[in-house]
Amino acid sequence: MTTTERAPFFDETFLRRLEQLELASRRMTAGRMKGERRSVRRGQSVEFADYRNYAAGDDLRQLDWNAYARLEKLFVKLFVEEEDVTVHILVDASRSMDYGEPNKLDAARRAAAALGYLGLASMDRVSVAFLGDGQASGLRPMRGKRRAMELFRFLSQPRTERLTGLASAARAYAGRMRGSGPLLLISDLMDPGYLDALRDLAGTRSQLSVLHLLAPDEIEPEIPPDARLVDNETGHSVEVSGDDDLVERYRARLAEWQAEISAFVNKRGGAYVQVPSDLDLADLLFDVLRRRRVVE
Amino acid sequence: MILPLALIGLVSLPVIVAFYMLRLRRRDMPVGSTFLWQQLIRDVEANAPWQRLRFSWLLLVQLLIALIVVLAAARPFTATRSDLAANVVLIVDTSASMATRTADEDRLALARERAAEVVGRLPEGGRVTVVAAADTANVLVSETDDRDAALEAIDGLTPTQLPGDLTDAFALSSALAARDSDSTIVVVTDAAGDRLPDVGVGAPVIVERVGATDANQSIAALSALRRSGGAQLDLFVAVANPSEAEAVRRLEVYADGSLVDARELTIPAGQRTEALITTVPAGAATVEARLAGSDALAADDRAFAIVPAEERTRALLVGGGNAYLENALALLPRLELYAVGAAGYEDALEEAAADGTPYGLFVFDGVVPDEAPPGAAIYIDPGEDGDFGTVGARLDGPAIDRTDPEEPLLRFVDLTTVHIGRARTIELADGMRAIVATPRAAPLVAAGERDGRRLAVIGFDLGESDLPLQVAFPLLMSNIVDFLLPASEGILPSSMPLGQSFSASVDPRVERVSVVTTGADGSGTAVEIGVVGGQLTLPGADSVGVREVRAISDDPDLGGRILGRTAVNLFSADESDVAPGDPLRISDMGRVPEGDDGPGQPTRAEWWWPLALAALLLLAVEWLLFHRPTRRTLARAFGRRPLPLGGRAR
Repeated sequence: MTTTERAPFFDETFLRRLEQLELASRRMTAGRMKGERRSVRRGQSVEFADYRNYAAGDDLRQLDWNAYARLEKLFVKLFVEEEDVTVHILVDASRSMDYGEPNKLDAARRAAAALGYLGLASMDRVSVAFLGDGQASGLRPMRGKRRAMELFRFLSQPRTERLTGLASAARAYAGRMRGSGPLLLISDLMDPGYLDALRDLAGTRSQLSVLHLLAPDEIEPEIPPDARLVDNETGHSVEVSGDDDLVERYRARLAEWQAEISAFVNKRGGAYVQVPSDLDLADLLFDVLRRRRVVE
Repeated sequence: MILPLALIGLVSLPVIVAFYMLRLRRRDMPVGSTFLWQQLIRDVEANAPWQRLRFSWLLLVQLLIALIVVLAAARPFTATRSDLAANVVLIVDTSASMATRTADEDRLALARERAAEVVGRLPEGGRVTVVAAADTANVLVSETDDRDAALEAIDGLTPTQLPGDLTDAFALSSALAARDSDSTIVVVTDAAGDRLPDVGVGAPVIVERVGATDANQSIAALSALRRSGGAQLDLFVAVANPSEAEAVRRLEVYADGSLVDARELTIPAGQRTEALITTVPAGAATVEARLAGSDALAADDRAFAIVPAEERTRALLVGGGNAYLENALALLPRLELYAVGAAGYEDALEEAAADGTPYGLFVFDGVVPDEAPPGAAIYIDPGEDGDFGTVGARLDGPAIDRTDPEEPLLRFVDLTTVHIGRARTIELADGMRAIVATPRAAPLVAAGERDGRRLAVIGFDLGESDLPLQVAFPLLMSNIVDFLLPASEGILPSSMPLGQSFSASVDPRVERVSVVTTGADGSGTAVEIGVVGGQLTLPGADSVGVREVRAISDDPDLGGRILGRTAVNLFSADESDVAPGDPLRISDMGRVPEGDDGPGQPTRAEWWWPLALAALLLLAVEWLLFHRPTRRTLARAFGRRPLPLGGRAR
């Protein structure tokens, strides 16, 4: 990242702050290249992990000659090998996301940009994709901060997707996923197939974190007494009478739904984070996601 | 009580409820997704035209509003009695006495307050006409239901220096009352002797009396007489004290603006003190008398007099020779007096005709000539019929009835202490009028005009009365002579009352005149008035002072010439007596309300306006309910606003 090229999402100071963070990976993953992460593989590094008996073909340089001197047995020293991981960031780009004040999709782009930059700064491979119209369209995995501008440009592209088709889009992405690591889904999950989508994504070897993004008036709706609610995504309408009773029932249903998703994700070892679209990005990254150990 | 027809409006209540049950056309509102909402309303049948009525604060408020509006439309009222009718003529006295002002009292301000109260008491829908009444009536607002306009007119009332005369105001009120039988006339006044019409009005009259003080003294008379050949004038001044306390006032006399005399006068309560001042130089043109210091009414503390020009008329006294009469006539500087016995009358006439020096005035004391004299005449104790009227039997000890204070022939003349032994009954001829009469209307002194000649009659022998012994006698004789031989300063009389208009013929070459009024405070105002066909009509003066009429003309002989001068004074005993008078005198002018319903007019106190106000408030509540803020919008408006996720982080 050079200072001469202006970042579309953040300023320099914020990016520097971001570099203090990295995405948490609770599972030890096996990556292709040496990265800055601990791998389940034992390999060549300075951090000692274990011993094992020598077998033919082992690298003689790994033999613990001190142990041989004392015990007259050949042991090979095992080290924790630091490997790279792939950070998957999926942004729901359906029309239902293109709503709210502040706009949910804009908020999702910014969150994805920040999280992607975290990954790039940690020398992880970062794969970003938009989910929409039943497909996942994304960039080839990239690595290194130099690719940050490419990442930002991709995320700031206008989207024309209409429907989510969240389940089929997630399945499509999970099917061609390469490399494992943190998998961050940023979506309002307003799709009948949201559970299938979560199931498919949790079924990969990646560690799933769901950033459930809702607009303020989806959390605290203001409905006129006689209104016809028109779905931004499908165009379907629902007639409601916006009295206190209805709003109360809506709140209860929302809480129930969020609890349902949270339970589903947690059961599969993932993290579920509710994110209002008017939440400050710094608060999200340095407070909310850190407490939920999505970043550290 | 209500107007029941308006209750038909109650039909609106079930209509409102029906609207709530009807599935109305709804307002489209975009949302991100109806995903959750769809799960919420599965129990609602989307296509049914009616829905179950659910409790709603909005419905409740709207029903309340409808109910209140219907009730307001029903014009609920309570029947009350107001002392005012629907049509009120509010007459506010602005005559000179209303300018009474002391440290404790501002009479006109009180009148304004009282008049505003009357406007406040108007029944619902009542109309008011505000009339300012001084010597004439001035309608300020006419039959308006705009109370603000009426109050504004009342606020703008100012006192005048004019004598009070309610004749016009009552005539106007009568006309209004004749149009609307539901009328009341309210007069805000100090009831201090305003002139009233002879005929009452056809509506009840309520008097709102204002004022309390009576602490006023006035210059009641001022007259300058020129003594023949003298270096000084005789100035007669009378200072009246109508209050109930003796007063000591300093009288100052100015001749053409210079102080020439000053003296302390003690005036007993309810009386007047007269002074004869002989220090005024004969060359003075204008004399002013001034009461130094201040009292309740300022307008009557100064008076002006124009000194008459030296011009003499030959007068012939015919009769037995009454010394008092001769002295009184000889004192009049305007007269050059000659006296003959009854027998010498004819010779004197012939002699005068032969000399070409006719007599302008004849005084017949106990004598009536066979033929009317060729000039003005005074008949004293006429024994026979004459051109003045028919003489009848004698009256013994006739009393003197109350005299008209405005009568110019009795100006400065106090007859209250005069006694008459016997008098002749006289039936006056046409054109003659009684000036002083008995309580039974038998004339004692009369004056008038017959065939272009002015006449006066004194119906008793001066020797059988104490009149010649009193100060009133020379004044009466002076006034009678002034009437018979009208004094004038050019085209104008030497003295005029306030408010009196005047017409005179002027040189036809004069097209315009300038009328300069020099007020009591020395300020001068000038107005130009057009002369039409050689006839000049001057409007009445509205303040005390000296008026001077100057010709405006391109002709150097005419331009700037003084056509006449006159002194304008209040000289109104009624106005100077500022003590509040008897309100019954005025209220008796009105019709007594019919029926035995007690005082006041039946009227309605309507209650629609508080209902309308309540409906308005409820409408505001409905608006708030409809647009009630959520916790989030309140937090957005007042609370800490977090940086949005979609915003630029710092």
